[in-house]
Amino acid sequence: MAATPVYLDHAATTPVREEVFEAMKPFYGPRFGNPSSTHRWGREARAALDEARERVGRCLGARPDEICFTSGGTEADNFAILGAWRALKSKGRPAIVSTPIEHKAVLGAVHQAGDEGAEERLLAMTPDGVVDRDSFDKMVDDKVAVCTMMWVNNEIGTVQPVPELAAKAKERGAIFHTDAVQAFGKVLIDAQKQSFDLLTISGHKFGAPKGIGALFIRRGTQLEPLLHGGTQDRGRRPGTENVAAAVGLARAAELTLAECEAHCARLEKLREKLEAGIVAKVPDAVIHGRGAERAPHITNVSVPGTDSESLLMALDLRGIACSGGSACQSGSVDPSHVLSAIGVQPDLANAAVRMSLGMLTNEECIDRVIEVFPSLVAKARQLTTAH
Amino acid sequence: MSGGVDSSVAAAMLVEQGYDVIGATMKLFCHGTDVPDRPCCSLDSVNDARRVCEQLGIPHYVLNLESRFGHDVVDNFVEEYARGRTPIPCVRCNTFTKFRDFLKKADGIDARWIATGHYARVVNGELYRGVDGNKDQTYFLWGIDRDVLRRMVLPVGDLDKSRTRALAHKMGLEVIAEKAESQEICFVPDGDYMRILESRLPASASALQPGPIMTSNGAVIAQHAGFARYTVGQRRGVPGGFPHPMYVIEIRPESRAVIIGTRDELLGNGLIAREINWLADRPGVGEHVTVRVRHRAPLANAEIVRIDGDELEIALDEPVAAISPGQSVVLYDGERVLGGGFIESSRQQRNSLPVLAA
Repeated sequence: MAATPVYLDHAATTPVREEVFEAMKPFYGPRFGNPSSTHRWGREARAALDEARERVGRCLGARPDEICFTSGGTEADNFAILGAWRALKSKGRPAIVSTPIEHKAVLGAVHQAGDEGAEERLLAMTPDGVVDRDSFDKMVDDKVAVCTMMWVNNEIGTVQPVPELAAKAKERGAIFHTDAVQAFGKVLIDAQKQSFDLLTISGHKFGAPKGIGALFIRRGTQLEPLLHGGTQDRGRRPGTENVAAAVGLARAAELTLAECEAHCARLEKLREKLEAGIVAKVPDAVIHGRGAERAPHITNVSVPGTDSESLLMALDLRGIACSGGSACQSGSVDPSHVLSAIGVQPDLANAAVRMSLGMLTNEECIDRVIEVFPSLVAKARQLTTAH
Repeated sequence: MSGGVDSSVAAAMLVEQGYDVIGATMKLFCHGTDVPDRPCCSLDSVNDARRVCEQLGIPHYVLNLESRFGHDVVDNFVEEYARGRTPIPCVRCNTFTKFRDFLKKADGIDARWIATGHYARVVNGELYRGVDGNKDQTYFLWGIDRDVLRRMVLPVGDLDKSRTRALAHKMGLEVIAEKAESQEICFVPDGDYMRILESRLPASASALQPGPIMTSNGAVIAQHAGFARYTVGQRRGVPGGFPHPMYVIEIRPESRAVIIGTRDELLGNGLIAREINWLADRPGVGEHVTVRVRHRAPLANAEIVRIDGDELEIALDEPVAAISPGQSVVLYDGERVLGGGFIESSRQQRNSLPVLAA
């Protein structure tokens, strides 16, 4: 058990970067003011908050007033979908279009809109985990208020053609939201050149702390606020702003973009090695979404005759952290709705192990997984046949 | 680890003894209709188990055995009531879920032993009653595979419950030390099992239809709203107005009749059991054993009258009340568990072995 621990769960969360932590510190200390206060303490905090807003905006090709800080991805997704739908529902556009492979934060919000009277339309997917364009053409019509589609899937890493489909949706008068929580720093995002109206990011996926995210809201997009109270952020998001976390988010976003190209190239190479290494020893391993364009940090592999729950436990006991489908509230592993939506059979879906690479991943990590994973698979299969 | 005192202390004792312990909690059913403050199997209890493991410095996992448990335990629970019997889900959970499916997960991580918080003891590969007579849980353990006994570690089986609690305090496990006992069936948290039956059986199911409440001589006393609401030995829901207290003495699903009678009529002199499982070498016909026919019922002396494959008939030395089809009979030789089975029927007449002419 002396081997160094291997963290292959960057799609779940990442550690706060040292630079980010340093940037945040003053706001837990001397610069503790409330940005709404009119005195010196307040002004200092307000300046930091405004600056953070500008910096995050620059990272997305957005203006500062188009950035709304939230408590994270879930709040931003809910605000985007429910806020836009509630603002538009009386205007003869009763439908919401989404995909069946969205994060639960989106599916839950779409479902809530459904409970409030929205017509839910879920797009068909190709077996590779990409939106079927014919289905998109059929479903996105003049009845659609909001179309919401994740840019990079959090379980299998597939990239949706968001710029292309956002433009189409706009032509048909729908508001377009994209959950870019896994996409930020992995694909090119530019609000000036791309036509999405709403875009979600979450800080803890790229080196900022948990509890901070942002929603890009294109000027002119009507959103009904989720929260009611003060006038912070133009009344869009009442509540005293989390200044330190906003500063952290800005710093992390800048660092991520500055390193983006080299980082992605490095991860791509490591993932290629990982997948090749696994397939070499386990030839019938299935890598989900492999035929599609994928973000470089995620691989999701199923080995027939194994189950993810046991594999994840065995990997963890050897110091290797991966994940299965969506983690359930109780902490148990439930079968993935993403894999079943792209037509993966239940047995195979129940065997899925997601490995997600990031700043903590190096060659040694990959070597170790290539050594350990196939041996655990062999053992699991032995037990299956024995019983 | 249910998040309760017994399994938490069991884990803590093993950690103290130097074992390499891995904590695991079984997720057995959906937490959708969660009842707060339940002693076990709720979301809070999973969290308690996790906290205990964190405190002990051991890993903790939640294992999803929902579909297997649903099939082997919950479905059977519903079927048994539908057949007019009184199921005992804890036996089936131990037999199929805990000491079979869960054990397979242990194999997957090379865990040699399986430890639980049961009040029972394993000595030389044989199962014995727990030291605390009030807490003994061997009544629920008779169905497991005999080979599994060699892998079982039951650290609290040597303790009194009060001692277990004291140890929990001593080990600093304050999170769980004073938790209430779990008396209810885990998937029927509020004790209202009818709700499960009504949600899983068609409304037209015979067990949910009205039928007669009759005395044993055939007099119809009243109507009931479904025989699934009754169990042998029950007094609740039985009409009054008799000189003696009346009990449910039998359920006849084919005519939907619930038969009531006096305490004397509730007594049985023997029983037939099926799905017999032996945890020791099979005893012979004519052997004298002690048996328990209901959790916490007093032990009764009995004689084995017949063994036919997995069917067993025993004769009781003294009559025993409320022998309910669907419940378990467990056979003991002193403290040692010989085996057990599911009660198929009770016998009014004492059916002794024929006396051989000398």
